[in-house]
Amino acid sequence: MKPWRRLALGTLSVVTFVVTWEVVLALVRWDPFFMTTPSHIGTALREQLLGGRLWRDIGVSAEAFVVGLGLAVVVGIPIGLVMGWRRRAAFALDPLLTALYASPLIALAPLIIITAGVGLGARALLVFLLAVFPFVFNTFAGVRCTDPLLVNVVRSFGGTDRDLYVKVILPSVVPYVVAAARLAIGRGLIGILVGEFYAASEGLGFAISRFGDTYRLPEMFAGIVVLAVVAVGLTSGVRRIEASVAPWRAGRR
Amino acid sequence: MLGSTALLLPLVLWEVIPRIVTLPRGVRLFLATPSQIAAALGRLVASGELQQHFTVSATEFLIGLGLSIVVGLPLGVLFGRVAWLDDLVDPFVTALNATPRIVWLPLLILWFGLGIWSKVLIVFLGAVFPLLVNTYEGVRNADRVLVNVVRSFGGSSWQVARIVVLPGALPYVVAGLRLAIGRAVLGVVVGEFFGASRGLGYMIASAASSYRPDVMFAGVLVLMALSLVLTFSVQAVEARLTRWRPEAAKTF
Repeated sequence: MKPWRRLALGTLSVVTFVVTWEVVLALVRWDPFFMTTPSHIGTALREQLLGGRLWRDIGVSAEAFVVGLGLAVVVGIPIGLVMGWRRRAAFALDPLLTALYASPLIALAPLIIITAGVGLGARALLVFLLAVFPFVFNTFAGVRCTDPLLVNVVRSFGGTDRDLYVKVILPSVVPYVVAAARLAIGRGLIGILVGEFYAASEGLGFAISRFGDTYRLPEMFAGIVVLAVVAVGLTSGVRRIEASVAPWRAGRR
Repeated sequence: MLGSTALLLPLVLWEVIPRIVTLPRGVRLFLATPSQIAAALGRLVASGELQQHFTVSATEFLIGLGLSIVVGLPLGVLFGRVAWLDDLVDPFVTALNATPRIVWLPLLILWFGLGIWSKVLIVFLGAVFPLLVNTYEGVRNADRVLVNVVRSFGGSSWQVARIVVLPGALPYVVAGLRLAIGRAVLGVVVGEFFGASRGLGYMIASAASSYRPDVMFAGVLVLMALSLVLTFSVQAVEARLTRWRPEAAKTF
């Protein structure tokens, strides 16, 4: 694998794409209600970032995202640990949680928004609901995949339960939790967007859907670009952490 | 035993508590007991309303998922085998894969209207990337030794693909399909929340906004049942195909 070649070819294709888009639309007549050009998007993005309320929208969305994701970590990891440590807890919770994980909880969005309102709470709850299960199941898997040899070593040298948890189980769980964070970020972003599309008066998702509804395509694309930058940034950040704590899993996109 | 208790207990409590305790009016407005939900489900089936919504959602789901399989698998194989092409498309695949595809919904509704095609396309966008990326990973992880063996015996690259690469990639593809189904259901539901006049998502959203929690929960229940059946049948196939893979690799 040659990284420089990958970078060069990647840049080349992005530049070609943008230039083609711009040139084709300069040659043909187009309807500004349904199309826009990269240069218009660039202008809109600059205006929004400098004077518009885009920062505010980003802040509002980020708040709900962070609260929901934080709750998912705080609730999901302990549940996963308990399920991994106590066989009975695993037997009791596994079917219920698996069923919930496999079902489209996003279908509850209308209910959540109608009961909890359009504020921070409803959107944070949506993020939490979507993001909590990766933490539960990955922590669970991490505990179960603890090396039995290491457990025996600690036991043979007279280690207590506490030694076992702190020195063997928790370290083996860390890579799984990091992998869960990557999944949870993707799902959490979906939660934010759906919550804000559905009912909100501010936030990045609200901005994107409002600009779409009012045919302001350059501003809408500017919002999408911001979201894409945030999503790629978060995902590649976690992937980098993942590469350092779990090198064997780093190859996956 | 414990598992079914944990599944049934919330249901029983859900049914019993509203009968014993008088809940505040605000809560009652949004709550339907399991028996009420079952009754609503019966009514929806008897009137044919459910079948009508289901048909629309199922059509969107099947066309979108079908398109994503037809497009995602060949592209995944192609990008996995041809390095320069992979380098060219990498920024696009990475960016589109990391960004929730739901974000394109307002644009798709603008372009394609409220009919089924905007939903078909959002389903397609959601489902195609898990399939493409997993196929790509599967192809990339083809066993080098086996590839060399086929080459040494004079096999063409078509034979390498058919004998080594494709069978090796199959478990990845099935795992991708499982993810894709989840994304496709999400696309159908969310798409119908915002821009539709028919479909299960529309039924749920309109029931919620007109305070008919029994109908809403009935819709949610149908959706959950459908995705559970789909997910677990794919998981069964996956378990059969991946018996040889180590436990750690299976979890994701």
